[in-house]
Amino acid sequence: MRIHFEPDACVGHGRCYALAPQVFDADDLGHCVVLLSEPPAELADAARLAVASCPEDALTIDE
Amino acid sequence: MDPGDAVNPQTGEANPYLPEVAANPIPFYERLRDHLPVAMFEGFGRGTWIISRYEDVRWALKHPEIFSSDFVAVDIGQDRPLIPLQIDPPEHAKYRRVIDPTIGPHEVAPLEGELRVVVNDVIDSFIARGSVDAHAEFTVPLPCIVFLSMCGLPLEDLDKLLVWKDNIIRPNTGDPEQDAKVRRATGAALYAYFEDAIDQRRGGSGTDLLTRFLTSEVDGRSMSQEEMLDICYLFVLGGLDTVTSTLDCSLAHLAQDPIQRQLLADDQSIVPAAVEEMLRYHTPVMQILRAVAQPVELHGHKFEVGDTVMLMLGSADTDPTEFGEDASEFDATREVNRHLAFGGGPHRCLGSHLARLELRVALEEWHRRIPDYTVAEGAHLEYSPGIREIVSLPLVFEPVTVAVAE
Repeated sequence: MRIHFEPDACVGHGRCYALAPQVFDADDLGHCVVLLSEPPAELADAARLAVASCPEDALTIDE
Repeated sequence: MDPGDAVNPQTGEANPYLPEVAANPIPFYERLRDHLPVAMFEGFGRGTWIISRYEDVRWALKHPEIFSSDFVAVDIGQDRPLIPLQIDPPEHAKYRRVIDPTIGPHEVAPLEGELRVVVNDVIDSFIARGSVDAHAEFTVPLPCIVFLSMCGLPLEDLDKLLVWKDNIIRPNTGDPEQDAKVRRATGAALYAYFEDAIDQRRGGSGTDLLTRFLTSEVDGRSMSQEEMLDICYLFVLGGLDTVTSTLDCSLAHLAQDPIQRQLLADDQSIVPAAVEEMLRYHTPVMQILRAVAQPVELHGHKFEVGDTVMLMLGSADTDPTEFGEDASEFDATREVNRHLAFGGGPHRCLGSHLARLELRVALEEWHRRIPDYTVAEGAHLEYSPGIREIVSLPLVFEPVTVAVAE
């Protein structure tokens, strides 16, 4: 699994780091910072939920 | 009347500003999306186009070059555009770069402990009674105490600020011209108040938001007095009204939905998801306004430059094409929830991180201490249109004696 992040699409809804705090963090503007672009299996479900929850489609996953 | 009757497919008109709609908007939203994806609202002394489907609203939010937030879109008694709400990109980003870090997620997280104390103090003030007007005594004071403390303003100014905030958001004189006059006079008082507050902080070393604005730079220069006032104006409207409305809608909902309330009371780990579902299902800020800046066509309707457009966030948030067949049902455990209650695109609500923290802590502490409650018998809940505050929210519960420290 590989996470792709499109910084220009992110506006800081903050759903990703709220739902998968071990995979994503926030910068000082509240925009997404990807901590683990290839999350381990035990974080995969949380990462998928976080990616699916982005209202701006700034995150995608290659399974 | 049935809220759906506020949509008239024959004339193409719809009216979201009716109390029946504010109290129960979902049937109204559904009829809008199904029959009039572009509707006309003849209110505010001019025509406003309503856009209501999820993908249309999301698309409009992402295209500020077409749907501008420029000043003309809404008159709320201000002398100049509110910063950053009524500023378009690219200028908009310069202000967000300064303001967002002051209420970003890492900045607000350390407030949680203090916030929990405030919430419990407020609950202590009524829990022994077994009854409360949750609007006047819980949902209004909470966000206001937080706001005043963050801005370093005295608590005794609260009543004055609340009157001003209501005069601007819902003057309710029944006459658009009179409404505009009330807003204008209130706006002047608000500017004068913050001019004083800013002057008092010049040269100071406080950590409150106003002092931080004084020392921060936009584009390599200090902000002018006017720029700071234009931010403060927005903060009063955003900081004092929207969390109140969300908590009103949340407590009123859960008071009447014992199954979902029990879920929350039994397992506090679902509160964050429940907060998102409250925001989605109730979308307290029902709609936001934009001004058309480029000719554009949608569902065969040609918008012209200068048209005013209402993006119906509440309708987008209950659209089954995004949220599935159970979109019009409340589910505190809903997983994927891409609601637009905080808007979207570059203008995404800049107070959203603070709002989420306040909502979560308030609902956690309320349900820890008052897990079982109902709406007082015979009470009629009146929702205010536009921003869905509940005028009075009488709740009853089993009284609890509060231990008083010696």
